[in-house]
Amino acid sequence: MGSHDILNKIRENYGTSITRADIPADNRLLVFVHPDSLKVLANILFRDLDARYCVGIGMDDRPYSGDFIVVHDFAFDKENVLLSLIVPASASDPRVPCISDTIPAANWSEREMRDLVGITAEGCPNPKRLVLPDGWPEGLHPLRKDISWNYVPESFDDTKTYPFDDPPPGTTVVPFGPFHPTLDEPSHFRLYVEGEFVRGCEYRGFMVHRGIEKLADSVMTYNEIPMLAERICGICGCVHSVTYAQAIEQAAAIKPTPRAEFIRSIMLEIERLHSHALWVGLAAHILGFDTLFMQSFRIREPVMWLAEKITGNRKTYALCLIGGVRWDITAELGAEIKEVLDQIEREWKGVFDAVKGDRNIMARSKGVGVADKKLVKDFSLLGPVARASGMNIDVRRDHPYAAYDKVEFNVITQEGGDVWSRIVVRILEVFESIKIIRQCLEKMPQGPIQAEPAGELPAGRIGTSSVEAPRGEAHHFAVTGEGNRPRRWRVRAPTYQNLQGIPAMIKDQRLADMTISLGSIDPCFSCTDRLEILDLRTGEIRLWSQEELVRSTAKIRRRRS
Amino acid sequence: MKGLLTAFFFSIMNLALVLLIAPLFDGMTRKVTAVVQSRKGPPITQSYMDLMKLLIKEDIEVGDSPVMQRFSALLSFSAILSVALLIPMGTSAPLSGYADSILLIYLLTLAGISILLAGLAAGSTYSLVGMSREMMAMMTLEPLLAIAIIVSSVHADSLRLDAILGEAVYTGSGLLWSRVLILGVVAFALQAFVGRMPFDVTEAETEIMEGPLVEYSGPKLALFKYTRMAKMFLYTALFIGLFVPRIATGYYATDLVVFLAEQAVLVLIVTVIAATHARYRIDQVVRYYAMLFVFALLALLLAVFES
Repeated sequence: MGSHDILNKIRENYGTSITRADIPADNRLLVFVHPDSLKVLANILFRDLDARYCVGIGMDDRPYSGDFIVVHDFAFDKENVLLSLIVPASASDPRVPCISDTIPAANWSEREMRDLVGITAEGCPNPKRLVLPDGWPEGLHPLRKDISWNYVPESFDDTKTYPFDDPPPGTTVVPFGPFHPTLDEPSHFRLYVEGEFVRGCEYRGFMVHRGIEKLADSVMTYNEIPMLAERICGICGCVHSVTYAQAIEQAAAIKPTPRAEFIRSIMLEIERLHSHALWVGLAAHILGFDTLFMQSFRIREPVMWLAEKITGNRKTYALCLIGGVRWDITAELGAEIKEVLDQIEREWKGVFDAVKGDRNIMARSKGVGVADKKLVKDFSLLGPVARASGMNIDVRRDHPYAAYDKVEFNVITQEGGDVWSRIVVRILEVFESIKIIRQCLEKMPQGPIQAEPAGELPAGRIGTSSVEAPRGEAHHFAVTGEGNRPRRWRVRAPTYQNLQGIPAMIKDQRLADMTISLGSIDPCFSCTDRLEILDLRTGEIRLWSQEELVRSTAKIRRRRS
Repeated sequence: MKGLLTAFFFSIMNLALVLLIAPLFDGMTRKVTAVVQSRKGPPITQSYMDLMKLLIKEDIEVGDSPVMQRFSALLSFSAILSVALLIPMGTSAPLSGYADSILLIYLLTLAGISILLAGLAAGSTYSLVGMSREMMAMMTLEPLLAIAIIVSSVHADSLRLDAILGEAVYTGSGLLWSRVLILGVVAFALQAFVGRMPFDVTEAETEIMEGPLVEYSGPKLALFKYTRMAKMFLYTALFIGLFVPRIATGYYATDLVVFLAEQAVLVLIVTVIAATHARYRIDQVVRYYAMLFVFALLALLLAVFES
């Protein structure tokens, strides 16, 4: 079933509410609706047609169409279709009906929309500030086109604090973060604890925004953005650069060369290998099992060397461009990759054998941090978390990209829904990754690694793209624009969805299980934190102009030389 | 007079042994752990250097009640050092005529209580959580040691330490089943007595950031760390005293070397177990101790019938 069939299905029953529909590709569907029917249609997609919610995007389209635009992306995993539900919102009073009261997965998207673009989702059940810092003045929305990327508000009030909810009666507050040895990144969970049991929690994150989306649509150019996208995450950077490139390629109908597609797949799997090995290590460390932590990192190390040999870097591969890749995999490199894969496979079997019967690890992880199928569906939990709950979804198979439709692999699922199942899923996925890389090396065709330059890309085209990151689906939404850069680029990393499921996963669990429950989704806070255009120095708000920045770095450079 | 002098000499010897050898065992632990984890590991003398570095650092007063914090650090260290005078190391205990097993149990408990004090005085959320865990663990763990000593005193028909610590599993009238049982119990609890994985719930760095010790640094932290190292030394020494028959060659130096070698073996076992286990949760820990407690009571019952 393709996008035509889905469109027909919607049209048959609810056709009157659709104002326009575009089918840019057989697996993409753009549906324009009137705000009044947004709620009904979104629910039909999510509940009746069982689509998965991807992300909500708010967009300042006033310079072009005169309106704001709200987009909700849905994925039909069985039918291989990504659907964008597009709603206009008036320029004078941007409001759309909220959908997160019945689709909880949309909660953060709607709150982010309100913070950054100033589009209110009417009736949003938890309309608290999500992304902007506490002291940021109300009514200022940094992603609007009339605010420059380096703007700092005069009225920033750094004495303001976040209005946390009152703890439930009988509980005490245990602050988990903003800094905690198991977090590695700043993020604040306010836990409501009764004895040793967690009764609830409130999350306040987004503390290290870097203005990546704003930079992309106001400073960078199409082919610079992959390098920026890579810096969204220190672990799955390649994922974001590929997802971005694919979104633009889809919008502008550019086809990357076949060899480039294979190289993308190989690097994505190399990234998954090192990410899963890293995660198994960190999870073991959280449980206090440092020997597994060290061994897992030792096994991981050759993967890093491999990445360095191919791209010149252990991480941040600088691999992707629109229409291709920058690094080729030569025959010698291919042979070396095969050797390293053999070694990793052998050693990883040892890890699996050691873990699979370990009663000690089971005692700490079975029945802990459980996410049932309903939770996975409601919050659109992704990747290994969803697969550990028996949801058979994997973007590599469901929405094939790069060279994944040319290789064979299994989608690993478990039924437990707990931390143990997630451990098993991730350990077994390493073997699948090895399998995929071997097949890619076998089947990789000769040819150029970069498509011919396409000339100027057409403006105003919408592109969406999903890539299976080690942690789950990374989803990007892009609208092409003028001046060799996109008008809007929205990044939704897997942690954005998975974190929203955490409060339900840790409720009524022991405090000791909090860290491993959180760790089991492999949280990546930097992935969720993408926008911030504020500079705080010595408690004062101070704007570094571009010239000042350039001057100060020049000074440092002079001093060094 | 001569007895007094000998007691004095061996007291100094025992204190020196604890102070000098405990960090070495700790260094050994780190080295062995490193080998298990395919690492190079720090030099075996690293723990001495760590302690020295901490001791010369500025003493920062943070937390709710600084006086109490200082007191608890000193209390834990001095309590554990006093224990050194009651336990035989190579030869009979220096103060064997002066103290009995009740005092030994008191002193060991005092070292635990000082950790509670430390956590309470620091007053941070994490130290309070750590404190409540320590309390739960103590209440179920300490009776095991007490029963182990009582079983021995039932056999020895005395509470005097020298009488108790001379006994072994098969001395007297053949094999004593109660003592075999209690040996098993203490062997399974040794890991917990010294606070190593999988029983380091009270510190649990990745959960509650070292728990009671989260607010401590500099010399106070050095004292707590020293106490921890000394605990490893003393509990292994106590284990040997309770269960391993002393080979008296007549030469103190030889006996001492044999004793230290026995200790090293125990430390090695503890280390390898610690390196191959994940941390249990506090409820699992308490359930484990409770199970051991049942066996310990059984041993006590047996001992009463056997004697």
